[in-house]
Amino acid sequence: MDFIVAGFIKAVKLLVNGDTATWTAVWATLKVSTGSMFLSIGAGLPCGFFLGYFDFKGKKFLRTILDTMLALPTVFIGLAVYAFISRQGPLGDFGLLFTLTGIAIGQTILAFPIVAAITASTIENIDQDLKLTIITLGAGKRHIIATCLWEVRYGILAAAVTAYGRVLTEVGISMMVGGNIKYHTRTITTAIALETNKGQFADGIALGLVLIIIAFIVNLSLSFLRKQ
Amino acid sequence: MTKNHLAYRLKSVQHYYGSTKVLDIDDLKIEKGSITGLIGPNGSGKSTLLKLLAFAQKPSMGQIFYNGNMELPFSLSIRSKITLLTQKPYLLKRTVFENIVYGLKIRKEKNDLEQKVSKALLNVGLDYQKFAGRFWNELSGGEAQRVAMAARLILKPEVLLLDEPVANVDTESASLIRQASLNARKNWGTTLVIASHDLQWLYSISDQQLSIFKGNIFSTGIENIITGPFEKSGKKNLKKKLGDGQVITLSAPAKALCTAIIRKKDMSIHLEKHAGKSHFNQLAGIISSMLLEKKSKTIMASISIQDLSFTLKLSPDKIGQLDLYPGKKVFLKFAPGDVDWI
Repeated sequence: MDFIVAGFIKAVKLLVNGDTATWTAVWATLKVSTGSMFLSIGAGLPCGFFLGYFDFKGKKFLRTILDTMLALPTVFIGLAVYAFISRQGPLGDFGLLFTLTGIAIGQTILAFPIVAAITASTIENIDQDLKLTIITLGAGKRHIIATCLWEVRYGILAAAVTAYGRVLTEVGISMMVGGNIKYHTRTITTAIALETNKGQFADGIALGLVLIIIAFIVNLSLSFLRKQ
Repeated sequence: MTKNHLAYRLKSVQHYYGSTKVLDIDDLKIEKGSITGLIGPNGSGKSTLLKLLAFAQKPSMGQIFYNGNMELPFSLSIRSKITLLTQKPYLLKRTVFENIVYGLKIRKEKNDLEQKVSKALLNVGLDYQKFAGRFWNELSGGEAQRVAMAARLILKPEVLLLDEPVANVDTESASLIRQASLNARKNWGTTLVIASHDLQWLYSISDQQLSIFKGNIFSTGIENIITGPFEKSGKKNLKKKLGDGQVITLSAPAKALCTAIIRKKDMSIHLEKHAGKSHFNQLAGIISSMLLEKKSKTIMASISIQDLSFTLKLSPDKIGQLDLYPGKKVFLKFAPGDVDWI
């Protein structure tokens, strides 16, 4: 029990004293997860809208693939991205292995199906009277899409928050693609894994607390935005 | 009647949902500036017809002409002229003000928005100061209906299509919606097509009534519908037994059709049953309601016979002569052969 209490105390000390290793891990986590969230929204939102709004042949098959992607293990994504960006891989020349960009690519693949699937479900559940109403108020196709997206903005925000939570807390991709390099690609989750392996539970708890605080702040900000 | 007098003409229009035919209209004309009432039971095709008239959907077959030109959904020439108020009005998740100006913003109209919204709200009996800033979820059902109506009226539409506009509102709101509809025609020459189950309200506002049943339009207004099952009665007739022991006898259809239509014009009303044997149907019933048809100044009398309701068009003279009033027992008379089958 003592080491848990010690962990809380150390967490406060590490943050207040500006411990470089802790703050670089926090900064790396924020940078990489925020970047991958925006990338996944950029790709997942239009795909989700397309899947949810239009009826076409093969739609059910595409939804099944998307739903399957929701269950992709992070170590598998890590492995696949590693294979592509390692020196022997097709994207090896870009030098992305053991970089934050490499981790962001992997995390985007992880978050994309979350954003796309939630957006598709949200759009599918749009009240049919909404479309009819805006058409009969004179909206063209561009206005219909924009208004539908605006009407389901809370659902899309929920997709973004869920995706952010997922990438913020994943370990497999960051560890395999990033390599857990101190002051460079070490994120909060990989640091926790390392400290726990080393028996440094207090450091692990400290970093875990930071992770929870970040998640709390993100959700609080979105809740505030929603009220606005 | 030349085509210039017509807002709409529907030619050989059929519409299907999957393999189910929901509309089958051979020829329908709606005059400019008229108020047309659509009457029919749930699932008869009223809402589908309104969606087609709003060009929100394309008919499976046939053509719809607007102002003499064949038009299709999203056509630029009609998009800003026709608007539909749906049965369950959808308000955008915004303020009342933003809901009402939505259509204007699409039309890129940005001038005097506050003044226009204030006028539109006043048209439906709502105060600008009190309501403009309210959110969609801060309105009662009747207020939401009136806000949705204001969002259409602000567009000064050439055609206003209303689907059950008074289904969920109180008497005051119904009266305000009626007045706003009449003002739209008076001020801008708007053509209105209104579907409603509230016959009293509908007859008080419309110039003509179209009855719709199983997707078929009867331009003579309400007609009398008798649904199956029927039993065979001899070689050429079918009969339907009513709960009180009375029997309706009808000439059997040539094809396997199961819904009988008895036209108002083929029925007569009497105070006593004809003595002796008669080949006519003579059914005892009670007058359940009487409505004035505004344009023709005739009276629509509804007669309840067990769970069936029959409607007849009677002149005020006939009403006076027979001293008819709701609750009075009467006899309906019609020949077995005066039947159409659909």
